[in-house]
Order: sequence, then C-alpha cells, then structure tokens
Amino acid sequence: MSGLRRALGLVAIEGVVVGLVALAIVLSSDHIDARAFQAILGLFIGWSWIGAGLIAWWRRPDNRFGVLMTAVGFAFFLSSLAAADAAWLFTIGVLLSAVYFAVFVHMLVAYPDGRIGSDRLRNVVIAGYVIAVLGPLPSLLFATPERLDCDNCPQSVLFIEDNGTLYTIFDVLTSLIAVVLVGYVVFVTLARFRDAPQARRRAMAPVIWSGAGLLVVLAGALLTEAVDGPEAISDATDLLGLFLFALVPYGFVFGVLRSRVLQAGAVTEFLHRIGDGPDPSDLRDLLSTALGDRSLQVVYWLDRPRKWVDAAGHPAVLPGDDDPARAVTRVEREGRAVGALIHDRSLCEDPELVGSVAAAAGLSIENERLQAQLRARVEELRASRARIVAAGTAERRRLERNLHDGAQQRLVALSLTLRVAQSRLRKDPDGAEAMIAGAQEELTLALEELRELARGIHPAVLSDRGLEPALAALAGRSPVPVAVEETPTERLPPAVEAAAYFVVAEALTNVVKYAGASQARISISRTNGHAVVEVADDGVGGADPTRGSGLRGLADRVSALDGTLELRSPQGAGTVLRASIPV
Amino acid sequence: MGPTILIVDDHPSFRASARVVLESDGFSVVGEAADGASALEECCRLRPQVVLLDVQLPDIDGFDVCERITSHLEHPTVIMTSSRDPADFGPLVTSSGACGFVPKAELSGERVQELLSP
Repeated sequence: MSGLRRALGLVAIEGVVVGLVALAIVLSSDHIDARAFQAILGLFIGWSWIGAGLIAWWRRPDNRFGVLMTAVGFAFFLSSLAAADAAWLFTIGVLLSAVYFAVFVHMLVAYPDGRIGSDRLRNVVIAGYVIAVLGPLPSLLFATPERLDCDNCPQSVLFIEDNGTLYTIFDVLTSLIAVVLVGYVVFVTLARFRDAPQARRRAMAPVIWSGAGLLVVLAGALLTEAVDGPEAISDATDLLGLFLFALVPYGFVFGVLRSRVLQAGAVTEFLHRIGDGPDPSDLRDLLSTALGDRSLQVVYWLDRPRKWVDAAGHPAVLPGDDDPARAVTRVEREGRAVGALIHDRSLCEDPELVGSVAAAAGLSIENERLQAQLRARVEELRASRARIVAAGTAERRRLERNLHDGAQQRLVALSLTLRVAQSRLRKDPDGAEAMIAGAQEELTLALEELRELARGIHPAVLSDRGLEPALAALAGRSPVPVAVEETPTERLPPAVEAAAYFVVAEALTNVVKYAGASQARISISRTNGHAVVEVADDGVGGADPTRGSGLRGLADRVSALDGTLELRSPQGAGTVLRASIPV
Repeated sequence: MGPTILIVDDHPSFRASARVVLESDGFSVVGEAADGASALEECCRLRPQVVLLDVQLPDIDGFDVCERITSHLEHPTVIMTSSRDPADFGPLVTSSGACGFVPKAELSGERVQELLSP
C-alpha cells in the first residue's frame, strides 16, 4: 500500500509541475485572448481532473477508472501546447489538442468499473483516439493562420498549401464522424446507467449526467462548426462545454460522498431495523434496501445435505466467479458459512458496504437458515413421500404383471391340459398319462415362480427367523461369493430388518450386474443406537448413485426411517454401500 | 371339419394348450399369432371363421385389434379371452365388436360353439 501511496504522490507532483508549465506557456502566448483567465481556468480544470483521478485511483487501485481520470487531466494540459509560439510546439499542441477528449470518452465508456465491456465499445474508443488526432489535421495541412482567424498564430510545420476546399471537406467529414461517435457513446452511457442497480446509480449520476451533457454540447459544437453556424453559438457552446468539463471531476467526488452518506444512512437504518428482530420474510427486503439492489437474493447453507437453498428450502445455485452480471458475498458466523448474498456484480465496487451489511445480517441469516433448513427438510420429505407412493404403485404393477405372465398363465395351461387329459382318460389312457406328467412339470414351475415372487415381496424367513438366516440365504443365492461377516445377535424392529435386508439385496444385485467383483462382504452392526448396514465389494468401483431407480428407492426407504444412505465408489477401488438406520 | 380358428396370444404355453383343446373339440386351428400386428396380418392371409383373441397383447391392445378386424365388411367372428375376470373389462368386450368372452381357464370347443350359435 505504501508503494501505491508513493507512486500516487509522484503522479501528484508531476501533475503540479506539468500544470505550472502549461500555465507558463499560456501566459507567455502571443496568440491567446484573455491569457490570464485562460491560464487560470486551464490550471483549475487540469488539476481538478488529476486530483479527482488520484482520489479514485487511491480508493480502487484495481479499477482503471482512476488512472483514466488522471490521464484526462494530463492530456488536457498537453493541449496547452497549442498556445506555444514556437511553430513545432504549436503544431504538436494543435495535433494533440483533442486527445484529452478521447481519453475522456474512453473513461466514460469504461465507467464505473474501469473495464470496456465489449469489442464494439473497444473499437469506439480506438476510433475516438484516431478521430481526435485526425480532426485538427486539416487545419494544420491546408489552412493559413488567417483562414483560421488567428493572425498571430505560428504557421503549422505540417502546412502544405492554403486550400479552402480540402480544409472544409476534411473538417466537415471528421466533425460528422465525431458527432456520430459521441452520439453512440451518450446512448451507451445512458443505457448502462439505466441498467445499474439503484445504489450504483446514486454514485454514478453526477458523472453520467455531467459527462453525457458535455458530450451533447460537444456534438452541438461540432455540428455548428461543420455547418459553419453563427460565431455566437459556437462561443456559447465552447464556454458551456468547458464549464461541464470542469464539472465532471467534482461530479465524481460528489457522487462518492453522496453514496457514502446515503449508504451510511442505509446501513444505520438496516442495523436499527435488524435489531428489532425482523420477520424473516423482511430480511431480504431490508438487505435489498440497504444495498440498493432490488435483484438481491439471500441463500442459506445447509450442512446436511451439503447444499445451498433459498428461503423456501428449494435448492439454489450460486453464480460462478466468471458470471458477468451476478456476484456472491458469503456470510459467515464464527468461521462457519451460514449463507450468502447473491447481488449485482457492480456492488463488488463497494466491498466495505456489502461486507458490513453482510456482517450485520449474520445473526438474522443464521436464524433464517434454521427455518430454511426446516423447509428444505419438509420439501425433501414431500418429494420422498411422492417417490415412495410412485414406487409402491410401480411395484404393485410389476407384481400384477409377473403374476399374470408367470404363474397365472401356467395354471391356465394346466387347467386346459387337465381338462383334455380327463376327456381322453378312457379312450387314450397313455396320451392322458403323458398329459398329466406334463401338467405336473408345469405345476412345479408355477410353484417356483410363486415362491420367487413371494420372496421379492417379503421374505418369510426374514420375518420368521431374522436377518442372519435371511442374509445367509441371499448370500447363498448370489453368483458372486459373499461373506456374511457380522449380523446382530438380537432381533431388530421389523421395519429396520426389512430395510436392512433390501439394502443388502439391492447392493448384491448391483455387485452382480455392474461391479465385476470377485467377492463381496456383508456386515450389519449396532453402533450408537443405529443399525449400520455395509455391503462392500472388490470390483471396478465408479458407481453412479444417480443411476437407475434402485438406489434412489433404497435411499427413500432408509430416509423414511430417519436413516442415511452413503455410497463410496472410487474408480478402480471397489464399492461400499453403507446405510445407517436409527434403532 | 369344424370351423377354422386363429389363436392370438403372446404366451406360447397357452397357444399350445388352446390348440390341443380346440382341435380335440373339432375345431380346425389354421394359425397362431403372438401379437396384434401379426394377428391382423394372419387374419387377412388365412381368412379364419373365428379368431380367439387375448386381451393383453405386447403391441396393440386386444380390444383395438378386435375393432380393426370387425371394421371390415366381411370379417371373422372374434371371441375375446383372458386369464383375468371378464368383469375387469366392463363394457369393453361388447363395444369392441367381439361376439363374446371366454375365460382362459374355461376354454373349450363347446364354450366357443355356444358363443357362435345365434
């Protein structure tokens, strides 16, 4: 910071020296009217710009706006060279006499964040510099001092010939191009002002209005000159333009002070009202008013599950660092994230304001976070209840389909076969016997299908004998070798046993289908009032928890018992599915 | 020779049993179809006098198949069948243009013949 202070101090000294040199040049000029007035006015304007620029530079070293503002002041002093009596200095002075205006346009286009928003605007700025240098060129190339109504002016060192036609054509052409450019910049500047959040507008207004006003006056002056209008109008616009130009840096300082005062008022008001313990629904409105950003959103951080939600408990997404329009200020309490403010990116220009408001809102956001957590939980429960109902319906449909296509069809065929066999019993006993043997096989298959179906609904061995034999049976039927390492010695509540059983059954199905494992192990232990079910395999890992509905259904089933389901499946290092259910 | 009949059902075991039952009761089973689309094709090709049509087919619903068959001027008599109870289908059997319904487990030549007699 001290490096910056030293650098800015040096720039300030340079500004003083350059200003005094410009003052001397104007005072000693042979071709300037009202020298003392012009010299003092010029010094006042140049130093105002450099001074205000240094303040802006000091406040926001990262923002190039301050640099540009300072540069306008220096470029303004540069134009004083046009008052020099030496021909070559005079020529350089006239050639660069409008550059300060191009820097001003550059600054306005980059206001308030110091960045030029688009390639088109960049081209506008470049065109501004080009036209600023080209504009005075016709007067240097094709006009004598007499033609320019300045008999005492030195002859330009670039003078080619006195040619009224060429001078007028080039002069009118460059003036018209300048008018179009200036008009476009006014339009862009006002549009940016219109789109800025209210708090920014307060700070921007003085610069924008004086800047845009100045540009309009300039456009008027250029047009008057281009059409060779009355001298009185030209003089009046020149004077008005100079006045507005001197006003811009003070507009900037005024804007900063005003926004400081208003912001301080807004923060005080905010602190006062937040002290009353506002209704949570008012919190956003209070923050929005204090920061002057109607688009402000408050989001809350939940630890379990780890995610951002809005006040209604719906999942929220934070804008990224590269988002051009939105930015995030995180709110912490005792080093812990409790929430975040999502606001217009331009508020990043006032980090102290946003920071102090965010800090003051910490406690309220913490309180509101608990509400949001509750709402998120309700939301999650509602969704999981809907999923459970849907899963139940789908399961019933599947059972009906399986019964219809399986056992029922076999029994129908069996009934028909027996009827035919019965009718043939007397005249074709051998045929009838073969038919009855076929019917026997059909019946065995039908019974097997019914058993499989019943086991899928609820395994009888689980209700009758508990988890140990039920898991052993599951392990025994699995094509991948499964070791049952631990099961509880006592019976658990039926709902917990059923959930544990189906977690294992689904996990083993996945092991067989996807894991490519050579073995798996199951354990169910009682830890801290929870039944902890773990199924691990040595397969390929990389399981996606969002794949298929099986895991989602299991998570709902476990969550309905207030339990949690976790999947750890690093690529190439096996998969562990772990459910923890309160007992 | 009894009436010619086409059996339409997606379960092969039922088609086989139905063929035995109907043939032993004097019907001439001229073909079998496993879904609605092939049922419509076989109907045009074989021109059976009777179609025994399962309600639940994998592609087109049995009642829709029935409507399409009976929409032709000269069409076979369609008898719907299912392992479900006929009451499950409400008025669909009569509105589809079918001549009647036989539960699968009760299928016999005699039952079919009864429905065919005016």
